[in-house]
Amino acid sequence: MALLEIHGLIKDFGGLRANDDISITMERGELVGLIGPNGAGKTTLFNCVSGLHPVTSGRVMFDGQDITDLKAHEVARLGLARTFQVYVASGDLNVEENVMVGCFMRTRSPSRARARANEILKDLNLHDVSEFRVSELTVAAQKRVTMATALGSDPKLLLLDEVAAGLNPSEIEEIMADIRHVHEDMGVTVMLIEHVMELVMKVSDRVIVLDSGKKIAEGDPETIVEDPRVIKAYLGERYVREHGGDIG
Amino acid sequence: METIKNALDFSDSPRIDLTIAGLVALFLLVFPIFPHSAFAMATMIQFLMFSLYGMGWNTIGGYGGQVDLGKAQYVGIGAYTTAVMLIRWDVPFWISMPIGMCFAVIWSFIIGYPLFRLKGHYFAIATIATTLVLKDIFEVWDFVGAARGLEISPIKYIPPDFLRLIFKQDVYYYYVILGFFFLGILYVNWFRRSRLGFQLRSIKDNEDVAQSLGINVHWAKVKTYAIATAFVSLVGSFHACYIKNIEPEDTMSLDLSILIALMAMLGGAGSLWGPIIGAGILIPCKSYLKEWLGAQVGLVGIDLIIYAGIIMVISAFEPRGIWGIVEKVRRRKRS
Repeated sequence: MALLEIHGLIKDFGGLRANDDISITMERGELVGLIGPNGAGKTTLFNCVSGLHPVTSGRVMFDGQDITDLKAHEVARLGLARTFQVYVASGDLNVEENVMVGCFMRTRSPSRARARANEILKDLNLHDVSEFRVSELTVAAQKRVTMATALGSDPKLLLLDEVAAGLNPSEIEEIMADIRHVHEDMGVTVMLIEHVMELVMKVSDRVIVLDSGKKIAEGDPETIVEDPRVIKAYLGERYVREHGGDIG
Repeated sequence: METIKNALDFSDSPRIDLTIAGLVALFLLVFPIFPHSAFAMATMIQFLMFSLYGMGWNTIGGYGGQVDLGKAQYVGIGAYTTAVMLIRWDVPFWISMPIGMCFAVIWSFIIGYPLFRLKGHYFAIATIATTLVLKDIFEVWDFVGAARGLEISPIKYIPPDFLRLIFKQDVYYYYVILGFFFLGILYVNWFRRSRLGFQLRSIKDNEDVAQSLGINVHWAKVKTYAIATAFVSLVGSFHACYIKNIEPEDTMSLDLSILIALMAMLGGAGSLWGPIIGAGILIPCKSYLKEWLGAQVGLVGIDLIIYAGIIMVISAFEPRGIWGIVEKVRRRKRS
């Protein structure tokens, strides 16, 4: 049984169709990259799956259960965690406390939440900054803290929304290692939205491409980059005509 | 067990804070021994009462960031329950106080459940409106004395009556409320590091993120609103026995609601010591300004002008209040 099944998902905002008949199946243990130009509907899809937006039509199944009409906190409790693209984490809480909020999903006891938070921080090499406020950290570290917080809830599936945006190459290396660690060592199934192609191509088992709300292509990273439809979505029709689909 | 341990654990506060807190606690314990005027004693009792109001408000308003300007309705419910039960059926304070708390909490669920569908300013305005409605109801409700209010006649009881909380000397009231004050601090100290406390701080930051971490945002707010209500209602019950004369105008007024919120915000919303600092500054100000400038010099209403000024200064310079300034200075020193 697949871990996540999206069947014909449609999401309208007034007259704008942000997600148009999208169907995606994800197996346990996969790492799927979700790419597409700006405005393709990637984040909207995350919002619909995680229960933040009600869907217009279509069904979402998670771990054998229909989660289409569940609220965001109920979806989260079933083991579907996510990060947010724009999230300046708490001014009030320090790094450790931020991660604890995630851990509190699985326990009532503050001491157990703290212990679990520290395990995760050690795992992601963030324990040096656990006393800092999140606003005092670099963007890269902030992004990793949001990942750690999501992991605090011990998810089965983790949706990462542009964790590498705005990072420099060495920071991208670091976060790539984190993602691999989460996927391989912690056994979490991951779907990531990313604009940094280098990262998507290196870590993903499979890549799904959205454009103007529709799924236009799906496949392993090597074939996806050569798919004319994908090149067209990114570079325009004329480019494809003139170069014959070769983006060398 | 862990709960009690956590309530007593102040280890995350710097040593200097704990030293100051210890000295203040010691001063509060021995204050009645020193010669003092009746006016000073009354001011101290007011300070403790308002600290407790502020601590209650701080749970939902400070940690949860939901600006609640309707706390007075719960002061009224607590005060009226205790007064009515004592006058009509001779029920002692220690029984009527928890019953009043239950009424207040039930009312808070009825009010809070729909109101927390609103956000920000809309929520604040709605809390004001519900208080005004409840006050109007009490002003025409004969069973509770309507606009005349209720009076607990002290001559019917032989003071000191510990069960009914009827005393001749204020020092008894002082120690009762001081006991609640210390318990209140322990409770908030536990609360801020409990699961609900963390969840609220996450909600205050970003509700979408909070939801995605499995937090039922609406329910967490309603629950915390009930906790804040329990605090306020307890002090309301105490108020009835202490003042012995209650009317809708002074237990349920908008002034009181605003003063409760203002105090916590001035001291520092969302911090353990903030509401106490706020009460420690505003209550003496209020009493002495009213006494000197109001009654003696004839500047009636001067205290209100000063509150308004304080609100403007806080919102313009440091929304996190006095405690916010302390923390800012400390962080600057550290880095």
